Amino acid sequence: MTELEREIGHDEYDPIGTLALIAVYSAILVVMWLFMYFVEFLGNDLTVVGVIG
Amino acid sequence: MSAYVDQFPAEARIVRAAFWSSFIALGVGGLLGLVQVLHRTDVVRFMSGADYYTVLTLHGVLLAITFTIFFLVGIFTWAITTSLDRGLENLRFTWLWYGLMSVGTVLAAIPILAGFVGSVDMSASVLFTFYAPMQAHPLFYLGLTIFVVGTWLAGADWFRTWLVWKREHPDERIPLPTFMVLTTMLFWYLSSLGVALSILLFLLPWSLGIWEQVNALLTRTLFWYFGHAVVYFWLMPAYMMWYLMLPKISGGKLFSDPLARVVFVLFLILSTPTGIHHQYLDPGIAEGFKFIVMTNTFFLLLPSLLTAFTVVASMEHGARQRGGTGYFGWLKALPWRDPIFTGMALAGLMFAAAGFSGMINAGMNINYLVHNTFWVVGHFHLTVGTAVALTFMAASYWFIPQVTGKRLWNKSVALWQVLLWFVGMTFMSNAMHRAGLLGVPRRTAEPQYAGFEFEAGLGSVAELDAQIALGGTLLFVSVVLFLANVVMTAVGDRIDDLPDNEYADTLSGADDAPLVLDNLKLWTAIAVVLVILAYTLPLLSIIDRGGVFGPGGGAFPMVAESLRLVVVAAVDAGVIG
Repeated sequence: MTELEREIGHDEYDPIGTLALIAVYSAILVVMWLFMYFVEFLGNDLTVVGVIG
Repeated sequence: MSAYVDQFPAEARIVRAAFWSSFIALGVGGLLGLVQVLHRTDVVRFMSGADYYTVLTLHGVLLAITFTIFFLVGIFTWAITTSLDRGLENLRFTWLWYGLMSVGTVLAAIPILAGFVGSVDMSASVLFTFYAPMQAHPLFYLGLTIFVVGTWLAGADWFRTWLVWKREHPDERIPLPTFMVLTTMLFWYLSSLGVALSILLFLLPWSLGIWEQVNALLTRTLFWYFGHAVVYFWLMPAYMMWYLMLPKISGGKLFSDPLARVVFVLFLILSTPTGIHHQYLDPGIAEGFKFIVMTNTFFLLLPSLLTAFTVVASMEHGARQRGGTGYFGWLKALPWRDPIFTGMALAGLMFAAAGFSGMINAGMNINYLVHNTFWVVGHFHLTVGTAVALTFMAASYWFIPQVTGKRLWNKSVALWQVLLWFVGMTFMSNAMHRAGLLGVPRRTAEPQYAGFEFEAGLGSVAELDAQIALGGTLLFVSVVLFLANVVMTAVGDRIDDLPDNEYADTLSGADDAPLVLDNLKLWTAIAVVLVILAYTLPLLSIIDRGGVFGPGGGAFPMVAESLRLVVVAAVDAGVIG
């Protein structure tokens, strides 16, 4: 097991780094969803009935 | 404290057996994955297009069913015995369910493998999604049934152990690992009922020629009733590892035991009444039912987002105890040189990406963009193919020494192995998603058509194919490194200084969790009610339109017909009758 520098108990612990990571993740999700909906979905022709031949 | 093999030598044997069954499936399934990826991308084609579907079936069944479920019965056995601190009640019964699972796998594999041999009139190239009108040899359905019955008995074994423990500890909370196993098994009973009905009432008698035809949409709906929940059957053990192992390896404690319980309760309630979201494009199911299922599916994002929070917060707790600081600087304090940690953390990261593509799949309108395309294959290689598979492989580096009493053969190889999986999957899955957006279909041996070119907005189809082939090859190398490492570990010498068999302590423990969370009867009842609400009307309307046995179309291939010929020939020859 690893050597610990300090013991952080329930009341002193504030997961601010988790909040930061989740904020970044949420931003990525929103941007990608907007891209998928407005560019890929609305911007393309029907995908089920493609033009063949 | 001591290692698991010293605490529970008899149970360690069963866990070892389950792991080896799982790893054999991983090796064969991984090799077939390589064959497939090279065939589809037209890099190496040495078999006919028809054989591709046999390879695809075996790849799907071995990896999605055999590899995952054998591994999870191993760690569930570990979780029950370790957290209740008692052995299983009757090891003969334990070996019985392991035996049933093994026999079932072999029986199901025989007709699939026979599909390669033209002279044997037997096949089961029905893919992992084995609904009508694709028809397999009866042995395939029989094998699957025996396998599933084995898992049901395994659940009974764990419930029994818990009930005996409960009589001796009437006032104690259910230990978290046991709680995870019990809730997971409850929804497995509920969801596998669908596939059991589908096989026993329809597919098996149909393949035996007892029914002339079956209602294809009904068997599809019953398949997906099980087919979506089964992904949580794979995923919950991976979550269990993230909750119980990751915090400890990071040097911290699990952030919240109550939150973990809430997550598993939500999966018990919500994992089954969502299956119809695989059928957004199926005619014959009204839009309104699909909308209800979409709503259920988006609710299901909640426990995964809760998990993202709890698991990351637990890792951060470890990182800060190890001296990490800052908004992002703490990430550097995590033990990235430990393959167990890195494998699981990268699996979690990939799962975050899978959450995005899953949201696209789940949306009723956007789904039309990607339905039945290579996108979906990219998606589930991030979920079951990485979040689950990579977590299991990383966890093995902890479990194999625990259940064999031997030191891990090579830690550096293990670290390279998990990194290689991550890199390989990044190439393969990303390119699959992009190809899906171009409309490249899934479940297709040779996705190129005369007079039609897929138009890539960025890059080219050849570039996507190259990435898929490269990624698939790296993944196969990673599987080989993994198997080499566990085999070399197993043949090594016993050592005495193994780490103790422990799992993560909690910052906020079970005492902080409301008692109602442990009321398994209540949550099961709610799960059953939700299933009834989500499925009664769609199923009745499917039966109302087509009848219980139709419309079905002709079976493919005609197994029943060939069986009848065999019987007629046997009667003629005087062998029987």
